[in-house]
Amino acid sequence: MPRIPFGDWVNSAVDWLLNHMAWLFDFLKTVFSGTYDGIDAVLQAPQPLLLAGIFAVVAFWLRGTSAGVLTFAGFAFIDSLELWEDAMVTLSLVLVATLIALVVSVPVGIWAARSDRVSGVVRPVLDFMQTLPAMIYLIPAILFFGTGAPAGIVATLIFALAPGVRMTELGIRQVDKDLVEAADAFGTTPRDTLLRIQLPLALPTVMAGVNQVIMLGLSMAAIAGMVGTGGLGGDVNEAIGQLNVGLGSEAGVAIVILAIYLDRMTGALGTQVSPLGRRAAAKARAAQGLRIWSYRPRPVVAMAGVVVLALVAGGMGVFGGAGATSTASDGENVGQGKKVTIGYIPWDEGVASTFLWQEILERRGFQVETKQFDAGPLYTSLAQGDIDFETDSWLPTTHAQYWKKYGKQLDDLGSWYGPTSLELSVPAYMKGIDSLDDLKGQAGKFGGKITGIESSAGMMGLLKTKVLKEYGLDQEYEVVDSSTPAMLAELKRAYAEKAPIVATLWSPHWAYSEYKLKKLKDPKGAWGKGDGVHTLSRKGFAQDNPVVGKWLKNFRMTEKQLTGLEAEINKVGKGKQQDAVRAWLKTNPGVVDKLAPVEGSASATPAEAKRPLDVAWFPWDEDVAVTYLWKNVLARRGYTLNLKQMDVGPVYTGLASGDLDLNFDAWLPYAQSNYWEQHKNDLKDLGTWYKPTSLEIAVPSYVKDVKSLSDLKGKSKTFGGRIIGIEPGTGEMNLLKNKVLPGYGLDKEYKVVDGSTPAMLAELKRAYAKKEPVAVVLWSPHWAYSEYKLTKLTDDRKLFGEGNTIRTISSEKFPDQYPKLTEWIRKFRMSESELGGLESEIKRRGQGHEEDAVAGWLKEHPDMVQRMTPQ
Amino acid sequence: MSSRLEADHLYKVFGRRSKAAVERLRQGADREELRADGTTAAVIDASFTVEPGQIFVVMGLSGSGKSTLLRMLNGLLEPTAGQVRFDGQDLTALSARELREVRSRKISMVFQHFALFPHRSVLENAAYGLEVQGVPAAERRERAATALELAGLAGWEKSWPDELSGGMQQRVGLARALATDADLLLMDESFSALDPLIRRDMQDQLIELQKKLKKTIVFITHDLNEAMRLGDRIAVMRDGRIVQTGTAEDILVRPADDYVASFTQDVDRSRVLTAGAVMDTDLRGDEADCSCETAGPDTSFVDLCAISARLSHPVAVVDKNHTLVGVVPRQRLVGFLGDEQGTPERCPSPRGEEVTAGA
Repeated sequence: MPRIPFGDWVNSAVDWLLNHMAWLFDFLKTVFSGTYDGIDAVLQAPQPLLLAGIFAVVAFWLRGTSAGVLTFAGFAFIDSLELWEDAMVTLSLVLVATLIALVVSVPVGIWAARSDRVSGVVRPVLDFMQTLPAMIYLIPAILFFGTGAPAGIVATLIFALAPGVRMTELGIRQVDKDLVEAADAFGTTPRDTLLRIQLPLALPTVMAGVNQVIMLGLSMAAIAGMVGTGGLGGDVNEAIGQLNVGLGSEAGVAIVILAIYLDRMTGALGTQVSPLGRRAAAKARAAQGLRIWSYRPRPVVAMAGVVVLALVAGGMGVFGGAGATSTASDGENVGQGKKVTIGYIPWDEGVASTFLWQEILERRGFQVETKQFDAGPLYTSLAQGDIDFETDSWLPTTHAQYWKKYGKQLDDLGSWYGPTSLELSVPAYMKGIDSLDDLKGQAGKFGGKITGIESSAGMMGLLKTKVLKEYGLDQEYEVVDSSTPAMLAELKRAYAEKAPIVATLWSPHWAYSEYKLKKLKDPKGAWGKGDGVHTLSRKGFAQDNPVVGKWLKNFRMTEKQLTGLEAEINKVGKGKQQDAVRAWLKTNPGVVDKLAPVEGSASATPAEAKRPLDVAWFPWDEDVAVTYLWKNVLARRGYTLNLKQMDVGPVYTGLASGDLDLNFDAWLPYAQSNYWEQHKNDLKDLGTWYKPTSLEIAVPSYVKDVKSLSDLKGKSKTFGGRIIGIEPGTGEMNLLKNKVLPGYGLDKEYKVVDGSTPAMLAELKRAYAKKEPVAVVLWSPHWAYSEYKLTKLTDDRKLFGEGNTIRTISSEKFPDQYPKLTEWIRKFRMSESELGGLESEIKRRGQGHEEDAVAGWLKEHPDMVQRMTPQ
Repeated sequence: MSSRLEADHLYKVFGRRSKAAVERLRQGADREELRADGTTAAVIDASFTVEPGQIFVVMGLSGSGKSTLLRMLNGLLEPTAGQVRFDGQDLTALSARELREVRSRKISMVFQHFALFPHRSVLENAAYGLEVQGVPAAERRERAATALELAGLAGWEKSWPDELSGGMQQRVGLARALATDADLLLMDESFSALDPLIRRDMQDQLIELQKKLKKTIVFITHDLNEAMRLGDRIAVMRDGRIVQTGTAEDILVRPADDYVASFTQDVDRSRVLTAGAVMDTDLRGDEADCSCETAGPDTSFVDLCAISARLSHPVAVVDKNHTLVGVVPRQRLVGFLGDEQGTPERCPSPRGEEVTAGA
């Protein structure tokens, strides 16, 4: 049987759609998100109880007193669960999806009812839409529509469209043929037959379809939570991720309340609007006589009433909720005659840069002392504060061990040179845009967007917090977090259309040979170097010496400059380095002013803070902690963070497509390597904030004699020959199957059970409760270690590799958009005790009180804010 | 009342290549032959004329093509061949839009299963045709109410169709058809779904109405009694063909073939036959000279029997001018009733009484 490359066809179809139909998806996205935003704004604006009251009034009108009371109770319950906002998000999503589903499905249903041929075509399409697993179109939906509401709406729509079409068709076909013939016999036009006879009579069935659309939409909303639509679906996802049955059931019950409410209301509405139903209601009313208590408005009146109530409520919320953002600015003072000590390792670039700075700082009136060290002592001295800064730290790789040891006592002032380059690139057909400066004022051309990669990528952080800011682009441009493939897809699409695009890229990259691209020059050297040469300072140096700190942070040298200076120094020989520097500076005028500008550079509150950041997070403890920590800290700096709880895959896709800005919980280079590899071209790694982490197999400590992976040998009976795994295809699982188990000769004995993280944790919980032996795939840090007594099996042969580090990744554009923030994030570190403390504080306060927990924790760690976001 | 409906060699063939099938039928092919090819000839070469003010009944068993024929008359079905002329217009030549116009103004229809719109009140149902015509709401209500009154439903305007009995529902159907003031009324087994008593009421009502309104009516039925009762002229259909067209008496007294004859066996002849059909026209001339009761040619058979019972001699039949046109001996009455019109045989051993002796 020949292999039919169906998957390839689909891939090329997706490519083709991306290339040629982008306008359509953009249009749809605009429609979807516009409708969604509108409805969501109306639903979110009023006080929860007020809106609950409105819902209750609707229920009272449609169904009666008890329905009204129960509705109010139900929605008040949701409010008391602190799920109100999420519930309204879900409600908006479902309403929009329903609305659009009806706009599409009713006409299609009518068409299908009138033509057997159409019906024959439509039916299998509906089957397809209804049964295709949601995940399959959820991910492409991100490609086409980005993360968030539109993708969720599309997924919901695809799923919920079918009953709308089917029921409409059925309803119309069910209308008595005699009646249609009678209408025909009296000369009714087909259109009038439809409007006067068929549709009114089909209405109850159509309404049953509407009801189904809503119900399916709600059930889909939970799944859509995985693409960051948030709402109750997000809560459910979070609960699943954390094995938190409590939160899960809260969100679940909230969904059920919404579902029952919508079901009963549409059911009642169906009866009310159908002519037969209205007749029955009218008769009942006539029998009772008109009383206010039993007054039921006609649907038109009811609709108008609801709209008026909603507008009133919305207006109250909108006008009551005006807020203000404060901006602050820090001044700048030039310190004179201050003593600065620079340490250096006698390597060419270290010498060159150190003496360059000695010369520069002296010219700026500082007293400079230089001290030569070996690498180890240099770090020790720096950590002890004996020297102020040094310029020759090879990070993150070469000096990793030093950084690990002293990093907490040091400040990284950024890389000033690196062999690799990061950049923003535009297609060659973008005339007149050759450097980042040229982007200024051109935001309109690019739609104000810079197509980024994974927000976790260091590059993205750099772009957003530093690069953009330095070029004053942070207000103009929005860095779209996405994934490397998504960025490349976007680039491909734009390139095919010859549309303007600016994307984050780095060299070397194949994109440069594939397309004619221009690397935007980065005259200000805003881009950090991935594994570059860093300037490190003692803790607090930059605060003590803001100007120098700023100069050092802005310190960049080109390859030409550096090699030129090195050559000059080598020429004159040891002891005369400063002379060489002076000579070099003569041939390179302006360098001093450039590296150490005396005037200007009034740094204010980041303008980049204006745009809210979309931060995706996983429902994992460390991510909850760090995300809420950043939210709190950045709020003090005027940033707004929209937190979106999502699944790993969607986060990477979302970051790569630029829909998300940041994720603080990228486990790289191993655990999430499959996602990273896929999207890395569109993501920026903003560096590690936590390490070390480890991947391992863990067994409960009551399982004696199993301390290392080698101990597993011959014990397969104890564990039933199974190792409980997590999601297949994750980096850790691949590593385990392909390397670790064969490495220890366990692959014949043990079978790795593919599953999911929640399932693994559930299995662990179950086995632990029964004291059964169990071996699970786990990693550190993980709350399971504090929850249960577990033994991490030692990996003597180091087959799991070096530990991951937890990194912040961002969309590719992020560093451009948020240069300041990128800088902060790049320098952000947390120690095990800090993270552990924060996590336990959050756990102690419970779900829903993360912000309080962070605030409380920050009170105990007053230096944290300044450390994270130095000003 | 100038309407005049004419069906001219109408064919309706369902299935593929219907035109070719018509050609074959014209050349004498059998309906069964066509069925073997997957085409169904529903109506074959149907021609008739309906005069203004006439009730023309098409009678046939189910599957004989009578409903198809009816639907070709107002264009609900397009004839495969042949023409329908109404009021001087060839309906088969009209566009869909013109045809709808004709249907909305000139032809209305009453259905077997009423086909009332369940989501409209009785009044709204009756006003439906007017609504299609675009008559203003007030006038519409007025005319619909008048039509309902004609149909005997005054006071039920605000009710809903499903609240009414079958007979009343069909009155709504009738009112709906009458409200448009269409000249031609097509009635498709309109009374078949009603129980016998109601059916008779409705037949009487239709006859009453027809006296007032003088519509041109094409009435479809499978009930020969109903056909005989209502029809000025009757067409009997069998297997898609009209086998006989004529008055009730023609059908009854002079059936075109055995099929029609077998059909008429069950008919209550006493309801159909009139003095004109029964009377003996071989006259002496003085039969009406006595002052005894006489009958007219239209006198029904039942009345004729009653008169005959009151007289000791044959009943004389005189026309409007009191001219003697025939005579009905009692023997002849009995003979017609039993469909046995020969002269009675002599009894070989008579026991005194002649059969003709009066009671």
